[in-house]
Amino acid sequence: MGGMDVATSSAPALGLLIAAWGVPMALSLLWCSRFTRGVGLALAPWGAVPALALAIWALTRTELAEGEVLFADLPFLFTGVHLSLDLTGAIFLLFTSILWVAGGAFAARYHADDERRHPFFVLFVLTMAGNLGLVVAGDLLAFYLFFALMTFAAYGLVAHDRSDAALRAGRIYIILAILGELALLTGLISLGVAADGVPLFGSQMEGVWEILHEGHPTALPVLATGTLLALGFGVKAGLVPLHLWLPLAHPVAPTAASALLSGAMIKAGLLGWIRVLPAETSLPLLAGGFLVLGVFGAFYGVVCGVAQDDPKTVLAYSSVSQMGYMAMGTGLLLHDPELAPLALAAIGVYALHHGLAKGALFLSVGVADKVPGGPDPHRTEETASGPDRRGTWILTATSLPALALAGLPLTTGSLAKNTLKDGLAELGGTAYSILDPLLLVAAFGTTLLLARFLSTLARRRREALANQHSKSLAPAGKVVAANGGRAQGTHGLVLPWILLVGIGTTGVVWIPTLIPSPEAVALPAALDGWLVGLLPVLLGALVGWGLSVRPTVLGSLRTIRIPAGDALIPVEHGLGRLTLPSQEALVTRAEGWAARKMAQLSPVIRMADRWARGDIRSMEGVFLGSLVLGLALALAGLLLVP
Amino acid sequence: MIIDPLIEWEALPLAVVLSSFVPGIAIMFLREDQQLLRNTLNLVGAVAKVLFVAFMLQGVALGGTYAWSLEVLPGLALTLEADALALLFVTLSAVLWLVTTLYAIGYLKDSPNRTRFFGFFSLCVTAATGLAMAGDLFTFVLFYEALTWTTYPLVVHNGTPEAVKAGRTYLVYTLGAGTILVVGAVLFQVTTGTVDFVPGGIVDPTAAAAQPVLYTTIFLFLLVGMGVKSAIFPIHGWLPTAMVAPAPVSALLHAVAVVKAGAFGVIRLIHSLFGIGVSWDLGVTTVVVVAAAFTIIYASVRALAQDDLKRILAFSTVSQLSYISLGVALLDPMAHVGGLVHLVHQGLMKITLFFCAGLLAQTLGVKTVSSMGGVARRMPLTMAAFTLGALGMIGLPPVAGFISKWYLGLGGLGADAPWILGVLLASSLLNAAYFLPVIRTAYFDERNADWRLPESLKGLEADWRLIVPTVITAALSLGVGLLAASDWSPLGWALLIVERGDL
Repeated sequence: MGGMDVATSSAPALGLLIAAWGVPMALSLLWCSRFTRGVGLALAPWGAVPALALAIWALTRTELAEGEVLFADLPFLFTGVHLSLDLTGAIFLLFTSILWVAGGAFAARYHADDERRHPFFVLFVLTMAGNLGLVVAGDLLAFYLFFALMTFAAYGLVAHDRSDAALRAGRIYIILAILGELALLTGLISLGVAADGVPLFGSQMEGVWEILHEGHPTALPVLATGTLLALGFGVKAGLVPLHLWLPLAHPVAPTAASALLSGAMIKAGLLGWIRVLPAETSLPLLAGGFLVLGVFGAFYGVVCGVAQDDPKTVLAYSSVSQMGYMAMGTGLLLHDPELAPLALAAIGVYALHHGLAKGALFLSVGVADKVPGGPDPHRTEETASGPDRRGTWILTATSLPALALAGLPLTTGSLAKNTLKDGLAELGGTAYSILDPLLLVAAFGTTLLLARFLSTLARRRREALANQHSKSLAPAGKVVAANGGRAQGTHGLVLPWILLVGIGTTGVVWIPTLIPSPEAVALPAALDGWLVGLLPVLLGALVGWGLSVRPTVLGSLRTIRIPAGDALIPVEHGLGRLTLPSQEALVTRAEGWAARKMAQLSPVIRMADRWARGDIRSMEGVFLGSLVLGLALALAGLLLVP
Repeated sequence: MIIDPLIEWEALPLAVVLSSFVPGIAIMFLREDQQLLRNTLNLVGAVAKVLFVAFMLQGVALGGTYAWSLEVLPGLALTLEADALALLFVTLSAVLWLVTTLYAIGYLKDSPNRTRFFGFFSLCVTAATGLAMAGDLFTFVLFYEALTWTTYPLVVHNGTPEAVKAGRTYLVYTLGAGTILVVGAVLFQVTTGTVDFVPGGIVDPTAAAAQPVLYTTIFLFLLVGMGVKSAIFPIHGWLPTAMVAPAPVSALLHAVAVVKAGAFGVIRLIHSLFGIGVSWDLGVTTVVVVAAAFTIIYASVRALAQDDLKRILAFSTVSQLSYISLGVALLDPMAHVGGLVHLVHQGLMKITLFFCAGLLAQTLGVKTVSSMGGVARRMPLTMAAFTLGALGMIGLPPVAGFISKWYLGLGGLGADAPWILGVLLASSLLNAAYFLPVIRTAYFDERNADWRLPESLKGLEADWRLIVPTVITAALSLGVGLLAASDWSPLGWALLIVERGDL
């Protein structure tokens, strides 16, 4: 953001910046032929490896932390594509590519027997190309290009199931996505006019906002542009009230796709905010809007989420809530140029932490569904009734990222929250005195939500086992088909999941090393800091546990049920009553009448009619036409000659 | 620098026109069963035309122009002049004629009256290219009228009562417009004493300022004359009706040649006759902008209510054509670039969509959206091409339509008319509302109509002569967007036209 952009371009940087999105893009071409699509299927899960390599390579360079920007130019492509990677980009690229690799490996196993695995993986790699490409995009239109690719390809992931619920979720997703795209496009055009071209991210971008700000006596254009861009990216980032697609899409999408949607793709909206919105041209109204909507979203997600029964819906609302925190970070970024470095560090760490944790949590739902109970799934009687040891392990491992999200001290969550809090504290004044206690309550809410998640997950596990049990009682052939087939066992699911849990949990050690001023993301030094972190989590866990062992309490609390998609339901209801007036018949009749009337008047047209019906032989028609034409021209000629 | 002698050949414009005229006339005299000869004549003509155009493109890029003239009456000459603007349209017509010829050969392989069809088809393209290179209004009107007469037999080609009725509607509109155009042209000649097309306009600003009513009247006469073919509301009604014609006709003529003739006429009218400055002073561009903006929205709303795939595409054409008129009528160079480049972009995308509609109808008998459930599994290439075209129409990057929309948007804001942006957005939204359900139906819905499944998965999903042109135009729709920054892209050419002041 702003300041000195030290752009460096080198051969490995160029190659990796292109390969990051070019490899998944090229993989999608393998489906052009029936003969190569098998290769595509085998390679698709690993499409994000070059991006991961780029992220690791870039982050090991100390120059990056000092403000270096890796840069590559593709002037012939589109409107001239620029690729660049700064520290923020590298952090986003790191968790995005980790999630795509883990999600890909997970999906490879999850969809091994899926008859629609081919369409799934084509769209999977296209979405991947879009998501990775936008992280390395260096200018406004390149970002928009990859953003659109990701958005529209991801529709296929959301609607993959083809069930009514999936198609409905897809419809809501695409409607909101299109509205978002249009808001973005409007904002981008406004910036494009001010820039007289396509600005690069960084200081050029800031300059455009300056021009837009100074070019108009009123603040209206600059504010309108900022708001449109904020809302356009806000659809993706799940900014309340634009979050409506999230709780519908996540439960119906295949597990890997949900993990990627929540872990990686919604962060694209966040990255859009950071890249495009101005840090140096002060827009206090916009910054305030982000802070207010962020706090509101953090609570709103908890309130709606606690009322859900599907663990994936609970997680979706948790994402809405967590994106509220990142919106607060964005508000901080826009509020004061002085605070920009701190805000950027906070956003980066938060996104990284949330991406890894949320990805692991979503995958755990798939693991809980598919991993068979007991040592031998075929010895059904005992395993169905006996203790589910694997289930206990799964729940225990799942609680690690859950506790991290809740912000338990010594987890990545406490790193992220403390960094953000330190930043918000710099706001000072009344703003922070209101925010501070609210954040404590929100931390309690987050824990409560995650307790709800774990209890719904445990129930889903029990149901899944009962399901497996009844399946195994079915004729033997079917059991083999369900459990055997292409991929034996569930290691392919467990491994990527456990790896993600591990990377996330150890993050508390390696994440601070990525930031130029590690002290900014250090754990709290004083005891009261630890207590402040610990207390809401303990309280939330306690209440959550109490509610799950006494579900009647929760039941009576939930006299008002909140359906997934909350505010959408009354809106849909209202729109359902609207019908377009049918203008079709009226227009057709009017046109028909006019044509008949005119045809009656003109002998030329009657003649043409007869020719068309075949009453007059073909060449005569041509001569007739030429005759009329010749006459018309002769007339014109006579008139034209002075 | 060594310059190819062909590049300096002055009669190249004539060669371009004759390359389809001669085969067209020759084909008329062939017997129905002389298939090989007919196809050879057609294809040789089409390839030759593309080559001639390629030479002219090089020459014009180097800074030259080509002019050829023949005096028909004292003081009145048939003038063909290939400047950068003309070449924009000629190149589009020539390239698309080549691919459509191949498509038509495949599409009509078992149909009667092919001699008549291909004869008139070539004459149509002759008229379209002639009109594009017309150096003055007289030549333009000549080819414009010829276009009407050569298209009519193609519209009624099937000879069904429905086709005859559509043909009648077509003639009512186009003959009416032709008459008004001739009157307008005569008035123009009498008032200004010239009919030449000149970049920047030939009307004297002071004369126009002295007699605003007269000049406005002439402008409006000419506008109505051009407006019918470019399907501006309320004189667009013939286009959806004309969709009874065979798919190649709808594809080339009603998505490209005929309708673009109208749009090109509007460009010539505003920029080469009156000049954008005079047009603005007279206030007539406001008429164009408002009518175009209304047409964009109106036709999209009409498209929403259709189930017949070709009718959806027809209304979409009506809507998208007005982008061109809108762009060139605004007082901003970026808007001009947007309008000009959309002439090409819309053609590429829409011809792809019509090719797909024809493929579905010819291969599976699927003509309505409601019977398209699951067709993507049967015809993956067709639907991939359709999806590309449709996403481009919505204006998603990097497909061609986005480039048009971006420049039109820049122009709208640049011309201090932010409401234009609102029109563009509403249009995108409506495009999404009628195109995305089609895509969803084809890919995500269950098969719901009685088309045959392929007996085996060997070979292509349909006749290769239908598939290859479709894939080519789809690739072009994507390619011109993906490589828009190149000098040889339509965008590069449109920028060249505007920067050189050739408009």
